Amino acid sequence: MGQLRPLSLLICALLSLGAGVAQAQAVNAAPPARRTITVDERLATAAGLAVGDLVTVTTVAGTVGDSVRIAAITRRGADPSEVARSEFRVRLHLEHLQTITRSGDRVGRFAVQSRTNGANAPALSRGVSLPVSPGVSAASVAADINATAFGFRAYPAVEVAVETSATFRVVNRFHRAIGIITIVASAIFLLCITLLKVDERRRDIGALRLLGVSRRSVVRAVVLESSLVALVGSGMGAGFGWAASAIVNWYYQGFYDTPLRFAMVTPGIVAFAVTLSLVLGVVSGYLAAQRLVRTAPLELVGR
Amino acid sequence: MTSPPLVLSARDVRRDYPVAGQPVHAVRGLSLDVSEGEWVAVVGPSGSGKSTLLNLLGAIDRPSGGSISIRGQDVARMGDAEATRFRLTGIGFVFQRFYLMPTLTAAENVELPMSEAKVPRAEREARAKELLRYVGLGERTGHRPFQLSGGEQQRVAIARALANRPALLLADEPTGELDARTGTEMITLLDRLNRDGTTIVTVTHDEALAGAARRVVHMRDGAIVDDVTVRPL
Repeated sequence: MGQLRPLSLLICALLSLGAGVAQAQAVNAAPPARRTITVDERLATAAGLAVGDLVTVTTVAGTVGDSVRIAAITRRGADPSEVARSEFRVRLHLEHLQTITRSGDRVGRFAVQSRTNGANAPALSRGVSLPVSPGVSAASVAADINATAFGFRAYPAVEVAVETSATFRVVNRFHRAIGIITIVASAIFLLCITLLKVDERRRDIGALRLLGVSRRSVVRAVVLESSLVALVGSGMGAGFGWAASAIVNWYYQGFYDTPLRFAMVTPGIVAFAVTLSLVLGVVSGYLAAQRLVRTAPLELVGR
Repeated sequence: MTSPPLVLSARDVRRDYPVAGQPVHAVRGLSLDVSEGEWVAVVGPSGSGKSTLLNLLGAIDRPSGGSISIRGQDVARMGDAEATRFRLTGIGFVFQRFYLMPTLTAAENVELPMSEAKVPRAEREARAKELLRYVGLGERTGHRPFQLSGGEQQRVAIARALANRPALLLADEPTGELDARTGTEMITLLDRLNRDGTTIVTVTHDEALAGAARRVVHMRDGAIVDDVTVRPL
């Protein structure tokens, strides 16, 4: 630790104000150096960095840069828009960034998030100073900035995330459409299978009718049986779905190095699946049973 | 000496149905009385109307004309629900192919009609055991049909037919699926049932079975051509 390490970094456009880090969680913290930066876990792992290490930041590899201390290692949020991004990230103070990039105040876009520790809230940017109170919402801070500052527009981090996730909303709708088609196809399949399976037992049902078992009793028995099969089947399906989603999440979370959950089996989904399955079981059992009890018993037993 | 009361009285029963657009007269104006305690074997060549008659007597089929009365109830006029109920409580059926429920044990098969008739559980369990003991299967109550021989399955079917204490036991070729030895055992069982008071009507091609009955009715072309009482009550 404390060893000076040369490091050329690609500095991304997304910045955080002060030591506050939007959508990131500090894993470890150390006393601040003269100039501090934060690096994300992915970079820290790849470069073998730790909190307190001295590194050099520069915009061009191999040139003389700025020696800074790593103040924190951050973990990326579970944001779908960041899953496939493989770049490393470093977060700097805005003023520092402007200095090393020699960009002056030419910052086109940045995100703002209010701090709960308002006492240490930094000045927003050169020429603009906005006090941030503890507990104030990011939206109201952004509104204050937009009302005060001229020449740029501030957005809460959540809004930025939503905007950048538009593609995923489309993908989500696409998945929903595939889900609906699958459910409809499965329903038709289940209905046909139930009709066939019940029809295979026409002789037994015919015998029951010959023995004096009423139509209602036969229908009730078939519906009860198909409902139980549907319940057990949906329970097994939910279990299988849960196991499959656990495997998918385990694999892709490791592959993309993200806490994002790629597949989820929520209680709502399980409730929907069980209800739908039960309804299908009852309807298919009822239709299949009705079809048979309307046939003469002698015909059912093949005479 | 007073004659035993009639269990079954069929008068001028007809059953016509179309086959390929042509009317077939399966039963033509048949009349038959069966008294309590009788064992009647209906015999005749294939297509003589034996099975059709049995279906009519058992409220499985409805006659085109005439009347059928069992213990005073007009079977011919019953609607579907009433006929179903009557089959459950008034008639016991034994079929050539047994028609046992494959997933149920012997005892459960016997209990099934009682369960449908809302007999309390304890009572139906006790009666099922008693009936299975009666037909010689007291040790096999927990066996499923596939674990039983053909003769044993038919015994279970007979026990099931007697479950709701029917007025009349109808048997359609009860020895038809059995080998000679097992068939003889079945005849012995039916004979014992009849001696114990059960009124039986069987349809059969089996001469041995017909020979064991008290009365033999010969059918041809949908009508009774001969009616012989071999052993009076």
